[in-house]
Amino acid sequence: MAEDLNWAVGGEAGDGIDSTGKIFAQALSRAGRHVFTSKDFASRIRGGYTAYKIRTSVDNIQSVVDRLDILVALTQRTIDENLDELHEGSAIIYDGERSWEADIPEEMSAVDVPLKSLAEDAGGAIMRNIVALGAACAITGFDVEYLDEALEKRFGGKGSKIVENNKEAARLGQEYVQENYDLDLDYNLETTDNDYVLLNGNEAIGMGAIAAGCRFYAGYPITPATSIMEYLTGRIEEYGGHVVQAEDELSAINMALGGARAGARAMTATSGAGIDLMTETFGLVATSETPLVITDVQRSGPSTGMPTKQEQGDLNMALYGGHGEIPRFVVTPTSIDECFWKTIEAFNLAEKYQTPVFLVSDLAMSVTEQTFEPDAFDMDDVEIDRGKLVDEDEVEEWLDSQGRFRAHANTEDGVSPRAIPGMADGAHMSTGLEHNELGRRTEEQDVRVQQVDKRNRKVETAKEQEEWDYREFGNEDADNLVISWGSNEGALVEALDYLEDDGVDVRVISVPYIFPRPDLSDEIAAAEETIVVECNATGQFADVIEHDVLERVKRINKYTGVRFKADELAEEITEKLSQEVPAQ
Amino acid sequence: MSSQSDVRFTDFKSDKQPTWCPGCGDFGTMNGMMKALAETGNDPDNTFVVAGIGCSGKIGTYMHSYALHGVHGRALPVATGVKMARPDIEVMAAGGDGDGYSIGAGHFVHAVRRNVDMSYVVMDNRIYGLTKGQASPTSRSDFETSTTPEGPQQPPVNPLALALASGATFIAQSFASDALRHQEIIQEAIEHDGFGFVNVFSPCVTFNDVDTYDYFRDSLVDLQEDEDHDRHDYEDAKEVILDGDKEYQGVMYQNENSVPYHEQHGVTENMSEIPDGAPEDAMDLVREFY
Repeated sequence: MAEDLNWAVGGEAGDGIDSTGKIFAQALSRAGRHVFTSKDFASRIRGGYTAYKIRTSVDNIQSVVDRLDILVALTQRTIDENLDELHEGSAIIYDGERSWEADIPEEMSAVDVPLKSLAEDAGGAIMRNIVALGAACAITGFDVEYLDEALEKRFGGKGSKIVENNKEAARLGQEYVQENYDLDLDYNLETTDNDYVLLNGNEAIGMGAIAAGCRFYAGYPITPATSIMEYLTGRIEEYGGHVVQAEDELSAINMALGGARAGARAMTATSGAGIDLMTETFGLVATSETPLVITDVQRSGPSTGMPTKQEQGDLNMALYGGHGEIPRFVVTPTSIDECFWKTIEAFNLAEKYQTPVFLVSDLAMSVTEQTFEPDAFDMDDVEIDRGKLVDEDEVEEWLDSQGRFRAHANTEDGVSPRAIPGMADGAHMSTGLEHNELGRRTEEQDVRVQQVDKRNRKVETAKEQEEWDYREFGNEDADNLVISWGSNEGALVEALDYLEDDGVDVRVISVPYIFPRPDLSDEIAAAEETIVVECNATGQFADVIEHDVLERVKRINKYTGVRFKADELAEEITEKLSQEVPAQ
Repeated sequence: MSSQSDVRFTDFKSDKQPTWCPGCGDFGTMNGMMKALAETGNDPDNTFVVAGIGCSGKIGTYMHSYALHGVHGRALPVATGVKMARPDIEVMAAGGDGDGYSIGAGHFVHAVRRNVDMSYVVMDNRIYGLTKGQASPTSRSDFETSTTPEGPQQPPVNPLALALASGATFIAQSFASDALRHQEIIQEAIEHDGFGFVNVFSPCVTFNDVDTYDYFRDSLVDLQEDEDHDRHDYEDAKEVILDGDKEYQGVMYQNENSVPYHEQHGVTENMSEIPDGAPEDAMDLVREFY
């Protein structure tokens, strides 16, 4: 198991918590250490409690754990909120000169640093968090020069004076602790020569979109999807693309649909109620056979729910949302690097099968920053398949006897030729109405059946032609099978270490495709016990699996708004294995 | 693709016979649109028509071009997406008063202020025709319908004023029956550098016995004949647009300094053209995260 350090900075929204945490994460990454971060935040601009947490190790890590070793606390609430995770070896850095009197449990190391005064000495009180980072370096024996690199990256654009002041602030914090405290804490942060990149799931989706040739993005700001739009803005233009902020999600999905009809690879992304509004247009996307990637970064619902909290409650919406019967694909990346690759795959599926592809991510992945080897995103491995996009010669093959383009031709594989505006002889209408091969409205029964079958046949073709595999961890021959989807994978993989220590043998299957999905009948039949793990109350994926295999499974559901943690999950799995299977 | 000289307006006509009621204003509205498209040098293969839902929405079926017949009220967002992805394509959105000023009113305001270079033709018959005669957002306050037996008892939306308040750069009104003027006005909307908005009086002969051909023929004032009206003058525009006593046709307002969205935002690429793999320098995106 990784020798790791768990560090956090917490205070009120508006205290610069996020950027402070990000700078430290960056410094650790520069030092060749792996980083996995999480955020506690509220839906408000100022006030409330917010924290940025970092778990770091020289080994690869992909989960948070229930432990906090070093805490930079700008408020008492930061300490109180984290009492469960703090332990007797924990150090709490705080500013004793500030108005609040810190109430710190005796067994912990209270490190009182005059953050504000030292920051003022360095050039301004605004840098007090950087002083705290310097103090953290002193406690952990972490070379402050890595912090310098992160400060240069963060403030380089603001001029050398700002960078130097921040470096000075860090030095003052480091020296203060070195001179005034002799802490007997065994946190010696090793470094390596590895160069890592540090990014979150939404950045990975945005980068994947550009790599995949997405050139048009329309969206409406909503937590936690907005950062995809923010990532693309300012970058997609470099590749000839554009981001437009629509007036609402109804508009966003229709703009994206327009871009796709015009021949661009287009995407929209949303969350929460935004996906409800977009549901109106799902059927049109499918019926007009438009290639479109619709990303849902799930957050806690229903209604406004807990907008800044984790949940995987939209699976049924992705599978069944919209009136009528809508052929679609549902792709659910299971890790941050997979957010990149599955986004690319989503664009290929959309164009190959001319139907909506739901890319379903979640809040935990969207805000977590994680380190990777750069070649985890090797752009040379990106493949683009534009499906049956016709060229000038091919278009002629698809004209009817009167020279009209058969945009919805009833083909064997269900996929019709696709002509985009500007293509001579390709002009046609597509519509949300039932239509014939030409896209003309019809209510003739045989044509209706032909077109419904044709559209559904695309899914059957895809089932045969594409790989709908799963990711697997642990012992393939174990009697205990744990199935998961989405971002729980990392915590499960690390839970395997804890389980192994306890002598519990487990096979983990992590599913990145919910529709079409891998057939797990054999795997479930081979296991004595099957548990489905997901962040929702009712077990939406467990329901799907029970439907597939006609057998009851055990369920672990978490809907507190906080993602699974590896140690916690290991305990729950052990407990669940000892319980009876629910009644048939 | 045909060159400008050999495009005839009938090239924009599909072989599908309209199912509009005989005498419907939409026939004339559509004819003017087709003629204006041909006259401005477009052909069906480089034209994209987006239609809404309702009687007017059927226009995508009766015309021939690249087209999408979408969700009720969302024609403008679709058209916006088409034009942003393909600045090289002529884009026209068409719909009715319900589509544009009721369910799609929010999109109307924002499409107007975005000033995307396209035209928007609203076939305004002041009634919901396809659902057989309910009040529309432009129905008169005392107009009795199946859902408003006493009339809506609320003032109709003034779409021209809504456009003006939203920062429109081209506001016009035409009458489906005045074929030549209607075509000219649509043509101007197409040629305008920005969002060319035309509200077309397109009478419903089945469900609206108030806003009839005769009514418009008798009451319409053509701004072309008003020498005092300067279309580039905002105050002049305001005056005719807010004049509750008269109905006008013609171009009420045109902003001479209109800068269309794609110029404002540098959106000039044909976004359908992408490489076979990731862009050449795409590893730079990864390196950013060091």
